[in-house]
Amino acid sequence: MSRKITLAEIEFYIRKAARAVALDWGICEEAGKAARWLAAFDLPGPELLLAHLKRIDGKNYSDFIPGCDQGPWQSKADLVCPVIGGAALADRSAQMLEGKVFELSNVAFPLLLAATVGQAARCHRTVFTTSWAGVSLSCHENGIRIEGSRDDLFLDKVDSVTCRQSEDLEPRQLPSTMAYSIDETVWKEIDALAFKTYAPATEESRAGAGAGLTDND
Amino acid sequence: MKTLARHNAKNVDEFRRPPEIVMRLARMGSFHQTRLSFMRTLLRRLKKENWCFERAVWEIDDQGFGRAVYSVYGPERNYSLVAFSHDLPDHMRSDRVIATAWDATFALFDGIPTTADLDRLEDNVPKQEAGRISDSELSLSRANRSVRLWQHVIENLAEGKQPDREQLESVGYLIRTTAVYGSGKFGAADRLTISQRPELSGPFQAEMLSVWLTRAFSVDLIEHIAKARGGDKAVVIEPGLRRRLGVGNSTGLGMAPFLMNHPALLNNWMASREEAIARVRSLQTANQAALDEFRRCFEAAIFNVLQWYSEHPVQIEKLENLNTDFGSISAYLDKENLTDDFPWNRLYLWSENNLSLEGQELLVSLLLEPYGELVDDLSACMDADEHLSFFIDGSMAIKQVKSIIESQCAWATSVDYEQKENRARFWYTSAEKLEPRVGERFDEPGAEYEVPLGVGYYIDQMVEALKSWDDNQIIADFLVVHPEHRHTLRRVQNLIEYPYSEIQDNLISAEMLPIDLLRCKLSFFGATKFDPRSDRWVRICMYQDAPFPHELLAAAS
Repeated sequence: MSRKITLAEIEFYIRKAARAVALDWGICEEAGKAARWLAAFDLPGPELLLAHLKRIDGKNYSDFIPGCDQGPWQSKADLVCPVIGGAALADRSAQMLEGKVFELSNVAFPLLLAATVGQAARCHRTVFTTSWAGVSLSCHENGIRIEGSRDDLFLDKVDSVTCRQSEDLEPRQLPSTMAYSIDETVWKEIDALAFKTYAPATEESRAGAGAGLTDND
Repeated sequence: MKTLARHNAKNVDEFRRPPEIVMRLARMGSFHQTRLSFMRTLLRRLKKENWCFERAVWEIDDQGFGRAVYSVYGPERNYSLVAFSHDLPDHMRSDRVIATAWDATFALFDGIPTTADLDRLEDNVPKQEAGRISDSELSLSRANRSVRLWQHVIENLAEGKQPDREQLESVGYLIRTTAVYGSGKFGAADRLTISQRPELSGPFQAEMLSVWLTRAFSVDLIEHIAKARGGDKAVVIEPGLRRRLGVGNSTGLGMAPFLMNHPALLNNWMASREEAIARVRSLQTANQAALDEFRRCFEAAIFNVLQWYSEHPVQIEKLENLNTDFGSISAYLDKENLTDDFPWNRLYLWSENNLSLEGQELLVSLLLEPYGELVDDLSACMDADEHLSFFIDGSMAIKQVKSIIESQCAWATSVDYEQKENRARFWYTSAEKLEPRVGERFDEPGAEYEVPLGVGYYIDQMVEALKSWDDNQIIADFLVVHPEHRHTLRRVQNLIEYPYSEIQDNLISAEMLPIDLLRCKLSFFGATKFDPRSDRWVRICMYQDAPFPHELLAAAS
């Protein structure tokens, strides 16, 4: 069974779910944006993010952060988190605009990395293309272009990823603003993770929130 | 940010108040509605574009229960408020977000709903958060009756009498909304669905339309019930008295973090408002028509404050100060030359030394009133492309980051956070209703659930972390080692393009008053009669004295 979730809800809940597995707020924000962006193209951003968060939950996150001093980027755990990997690439977008090509080894869910770095393409009004296995995803200011094997889009780990600025071809798909259909069970898992970031109610919190005086007047 | 359309005067910049003056909680908590407030922007547009109005459906029984539809027809699109009126036992009536039933519930429909749409909404809207709306709806809201006024008005109208003016004005509304949700919440259409439509691209225009139509529904509903009860004897509310009815709103902490969570938007609201004030202050002369309009608005403000009642000690003191300020302003207006030599600027500068913050901010609202042609265009600059403000410039040298903090964040770094009172609070989301709350860090459990709204503290923490880094390294290198500062760095970099994006106060201090955050946001909506019920809960009135749909718009044919 599936249910409709709005893009705003996807961003909000994924941000919270990422926080629940102890990612830093700034990275959680990137995760929320990436999941939302992919869902706008009917791509399974929320589902892949959930799978990734479950994979790294309880582990030392710093082991998934790539070293960016020399290429190809790799992490201590031999598995680069695509969210911080994509964010680190986005932070170096000025270098990509100058023609630099970045390479990363052993990346989890590269589609998430492509979507995260894609946010910077939107700001620069350029195109950043991320390639892995037999597929590449180009993120435009307001659209995407997928070339190659669509099945490879959803791989949970790949040996090598490259990311570069590419020529300004027209996007093939524009984002929708409509709600995204997601499997009910998957959404419940995301919701349950997000819920872990909420503080249980206490008498103090209830006492402080209301009107203090009667509000039935 | 969007480039504000600059006024021709060359010297507007020198009249603009800087962020360190404006972005203080005490001042923001003294804001009043202005010409740029979102309710007024909406009504100006509806009038200018000749929108039409009709009450398209009225299926309400003699007890006042059932459903109704109010539609407005614009040049390109139509919108409808779908309203449900319910039988709510008194003991279930609560304005708290933890309530589960209300006197009336609403959705703003994108277009004209079919009967099937109405049936679908009837299955969901009365449940509010526990139901689900769709891409076809733009907002979800609910309201409770004013117990103080509801029966009084029905009884009088049913007997052919008008309600007591004083009693009606002291409350100011028949129903009070307790939440208005939009922008993708609970299944509603995403903000991007409407952000390119001129009539809804401004902030909260869909929500403001919903509330305006809700006001019309509240009066229709009470007149309908009175008619059912009184039959031929019953009368409707006399139009002059009806205008005095707005819509109440009761708002708690749920609204508070919005300003911190939308820094680019906050900047554009503030920058537009400050630009408007600066434009008026930069005028070298004032003509008689402007002076007359200013005086008329000043007199109206005095009248409105007379009916602004509060039991909260903070607001009582503010109102007392405001009354004193009125005397001072009157004396100034009587003795000073108001036509030449930058009269509005002189008045403003005088106010800085002679009026309370409440009085100063009321004065700047009044300054804008005679100058619609000069400032109303700024309402088009108050939305924000928040995607652009999300971008981090990783190529920025660390020394430049430090320079931004030195020049624009002294408010953050000058606080001693080792002192308990400077870190006394923490913001979190409650599991009970998924709503923002403020906790006492050293007295309550739960600080591990803190959300990053203590912006100043986090900036100070980042400054510490940056100390051991080479000034010439790029900030991208720092962020990959210190992802915990990514959120804060984003905010700090934003200050270059969005200098009014941060509230320059300690938001986790023991002294912080959440009602200041609520009042600032609500003043931008256009709210009046701020009546704090505690330090984190405020009652307001919306659309009081505004025209009703059938008064402002032509009937739909």
